[in-house]
Amino acid sequence: MTTQVTLAAGKSSTPTEPSGTVVLDGVTRRFGETKAVDNLSLRVEAGEFLSLLGPSGCGKTTTLRMLAGFEHPDGGDIRISGTSVLGVPPYKRDVNTVFQAYALFPHMSVAENVAYGLRQKRVPRAEVRVRVAEALELVQMRSFADRKSTQLSGGQQQRIALARALVNKPSVLLLDEPLGALDRQLREEMQLELKLLQSQLGITFVFVTHDQGEALSMSDRIAVMREGRIEQLADADTIYARPDSAYVAAFIGQQNFVVGTLTSSGDAVDTTIGALKAARIDSGLISGDAAQAAIRPEFVRITPAAEPKPTGTQGADGTLIGLAHLGESMQYLVQLDAGQSILSRRPTADAPSVSVGDAVRVSWKPEHVQVFPADGAEVAAGFVRPPKTTHSHN
Amino acid sequence: MRSPRFALAIPAWAWLVLFFVVPVGYVIWFSFGYKPGIFGTHANDVLSFDRYVEALSPTFFQTFLNTLWVGLAGTALCLLIAFPVVYWMAVKVSPSKRGLLIALVMIPFWTNFLVRTIGWQVILAPEGWLSTGLNTIGVLDGPLEILYTRTAVLIGVVYNYLPLMILPLFVAFDRVGAPLREASKDLGAGPIATLARVTIPLARPGIIAGVLLVFIPLMGDYITATVLGGAKGNMVGQLVASQFQTAQNWALGSAMAVLLMLVIALSVAIGAVILWILSLPFRSAHRLVLGPES
Amino acid sequence: MTADTPIRILANASASRIIGRELTRRGFLSAAVAVGAVGALAACTPTSTGGSPQASGGPLENKLSIYTWGEYDAPEVMSAFTSELGPQIVIDSFSSNEELISKLVAAKGTSGYDIVVPTGTFIPQMVENGLLTKLNRDLIPNIEHMDSAFLGRDWDPNNDYSICKAWGTTGFVYDKSVITRELKTWNDFLDAAQNEASGKTSVLDDPGDITGIYFWANGIDWDTTDAGNLDAAEEYLVNTLAPHLAAFDSYPGGQSIPQATMTLMQVWNGDARIGILEGGEPDRWQWVLGAPVTEIWMDNWAIAAGAPNPEAAHAFINYVLTPENSLAELDYIGYHTGGTDIEQAANDAGFEMLDLVFFTPEQIATMRTGKVTEAQGRLVDIWNKMKAAAGA
Repeated sequence: MTTQVTLAAGKSSTPTEPSGTVVLDGVTRRFGETKAVDNLSLRVEAGEFLSLLGPSGCGKTTTLRMLAGFEHPDGGDIRISGTSVLGVPPYKRDVNTVFQAYALFPHMSVAENVAYGLRQKRVPRAEVRVRVAEALELVQMRSFADRKSTQLSGGQQQRIALARALVNKPSVLLLDEPLGALDRQLREEMQLELKLLQSQLGITFVFVTHDQGEALSMSDRIAVMREGRIEQLADADTIYARPDSAYVAAFIGQQNFVVGTLTSSGDAVDTTIGALKAARIDSGLISGDAAQAAIRPEFVRITPAAEPKPTGTQGADGTLIGLAHLGESMQYLVQLDAGQSILSRRPTADAPSVSVGDAVRVSWKPEHVQVFPADGAEVAAGFVRPPKTTHSHN
Repeated sequence: MRSPRFALAIPAWAWLVLFFVVPVGYVIWFSFGYKPGIFGTHANDVLSFDRYVEALSPTFFQTFLNTLWVGLAGTALCLLIAFPVVYWMAVKVSPSKRGLLIALVMIPFWTNFLVRTIGWQVILAPEGWLSTGLNTIGVLDGPLEILYTRTAVLIGVVYNYLPLMILPLFVAFDRVGAPLREASKDLGAGPIATLARVTIPLARPGIIAGVLLVFIPLMGDYITATVLGGAKGNMVGQLVASQFQTAQNWALGSAMAVLLMLVIALSVAIGAVILWILSLPFRSAHRLVLGPES
Repeated sequence: MTADTPIRILANASASRIIGRELTRRGFLSAAVAVGAVGALAACTPTSTGGSPQASGGPLENKLSIYTWGEYDAPEVMSAFTSELGPQIVIDSFSSNEELISKLVAAKGTSGYDIVVPTGTFIPQMVENGLLTKLNRDLIPNIEHMDSAFLGRDWDPNNDYSICKAWGTTGFVYDKSVITRELKTWNDFLDAAQNEASGKTSVLDDPGDITGIYFWANGIDWDTTDAGNLDAAEEYLVNTLAPHLAAFDSYPGGQSIPQATMTLMQVWNGDARIGILEGGEPDRWQWVLGAPVTEIWMDNWAIAAGAPNPEAAHAFINYVLTPENSLAELDYIGYHTGGTDIEQAANDAGFEMLDLVFFTPEQIATMRTGKVTEAQGRLVDIWNKMKAAAGA
């Protein structure tokens, strides 16, 4: 269905910041006393798919709105394709936005919505027809061209919003939680399509989401944001496997946290369930520091207490108090004898035969343990669910 | 219990029948009658169109032209003033302060309509405080000769009717919402293009409601015009009232009232047609029909 | 004016008070009410109410309901009546005779009102439609305090249904700083309106009073129904006078005189007096009683058919007719109440500008009573044509 269209744009740019590059340089935005964005610096490469990920209030939407021109920074510089856009109103920027609620014009047909930006640029009528048709074909909505935009489903409106932005051939496309209003299945389909479209068009995408699954599945790089700053900027694998902080570790996927102090040898954490050896330890920690060991549920194995302890593992004994079937996997909640709760997830095919009330043993390999400073905010009694996430995917 | 939907509609229908259909029905019925003797007000044993012939006098037409002038000029002025005010309130002011502004718009309505209007009479009088004040600061030399002119009528009309324009306009502008305006700007439309292509088309029902809410009662109102315009504020409503009240000729008064209603309806219809014709070029310029795939 | 005899309506009369009076007395807003009454009246045909209770001098009921013009009765007289004789008074107000009549017709004798205060010219219509009950004159001995000049008028020659409550007349007021010659008659008024006061003249917003100017000035009977007279009046008023008029205003005393908006105004005497006193420049304004002839209008105490408290109603009318209460009423409303020797009493009390309240027998002899005639529709037509011509 997709058609070959070149939407690349040759705008004013510099050799170091070619067209499509977005640079935020020490950008700050205050709302009253609070800093929504705090001295944030970020470089998005031309043609890159970058996600801004974080809970609501972390500053990701404000950052996007500053790129679009709806908000203006109190300090710092923003450059798009090598040119500062400070003071440039939204309608003069070479970026387009796909809005959270689509914001289609209800008094216009689908085609008129898509043609809106071209009309503003005084593109000749004949060319408008061709480009609108192309853009609609790109999102597989050509046959809906003459419908009222209000007669479409959420997913269809989403595609029109995308076409309406892309038809203008912007050097940067901004997406503000565009999939948030779709149901789960549609959302997953759209994730794939968006990624395909982006690699096909080569346009820079800046994608704002609070949904880690969305970020992980599409992005070249993810910037995890926290209180107006970037906590970690890396590709999906790194963010998932080697989070820089407990915050990132907790936000991406789920984690079991066990608190304690760093042992004198510096390679383990002393906890109520014994000394836990770890593969990665935060470099800022020294012996005797309060620390927390993090283990992802998918690395926690469950065995009946009677069975021998798996080799090469560490762990603790407890009682199974919860069990849930998640389809491809099973989820177990174990109350350890030491008081702590541990969450475990096993592939359904490989599920141990235990039932609620059974005495069980939880175990994991030291290579799956990471140690972070014991930052009070993230430490709960046992495991921490991702803060303020509304969906659970894993 | 079998048709709750019908049951729920009963109060609305009862209201409409009792307070609209029945009174208007009586007025139409009376208009075909005549005035029987000095002390009678109406009789319907002989029906005719004679009262309409009587009502369609040159006096009626002249007074009607004056009324139409006040109605059109007053409505246009209200729209012209309300538009930027509402735009500012709905677009520029933070949502938390809008309630206060709406309340401020409504406060004059707490005072009696006539008292408000007479208040302007005091202000605009040749030796009133506005005149004295303007003379003191040197803007004016001699008394302010504005009372009992059409200017004074328009001041009063704007004061009394502006809230009726502001409220529906505000609701309409508010409902257009920031996201659509941002989408428009994001797609390259400046503030004026956004206003013309997004805000106004979407606020159109509210604008029409505001225009009708001001125009229709204004055509029937003669208090504002008479108090501030004196002889220059002669309105058709007064003609109708004079027949009911003073001449005690309900038949002729009813015929005049029916004519007034017809003429108002006709004015609105003509206005709608003119607007529609004027908007045709604009519409065709922005229409885009792709048709089925080729 | 002395401190111990405050004349409330004259001294410190606030603007709101004047506005209140405009709202209520002799109907400015009555159109709205009249139109509203159409629906109520529509279903009703006037029927005579014969079986209303008659007063016979028995014990007073404990309530009394009065339906009158707004701000038209002295509160201290009301409260004194209640404390002396017992009945609690409930007052409701109307703003036009038409409104009063509409309500009584609609209620068919069940309005609950005891005392009503119609203007004389409307009394025959009300009697004919059975809206009023005959007075039991034995219960109103204080009628002896009334000046016979204000009893036995055309509309009720034997005072069977009504007794004078207050009366007034029509003249004009002009600004002596603009009109330096002396104006004396309606002809002078018409001349000045077309010269010095052109564009600064107002006339009463009433077809009878407007057409009256022409008839009074030209020695034509005010009640004329002669087509030739009416045609001549229309020709003159619409084509000659109307273009010089600035307003049709029944209450120039409220704003026009105090604010000096107009130079020449046709005006009722009590309103002229309020306006001149309120304006604070009594030497600037000259009041002239219309001449050679002018009008007299009179509002009257009457009892509604079906009045639930007839004994109390009679007792109240009798009570207000005493000289002291009559004086208190005059003080409050600023119009002559028709009592004998009340002029002396008002002089003794130190009331101001009494030449606008009291008139000599010779002057009174020049005052004519209005009448609703077949020409009423024509007069309204002339009135409307004048307005159209003045507004063009």
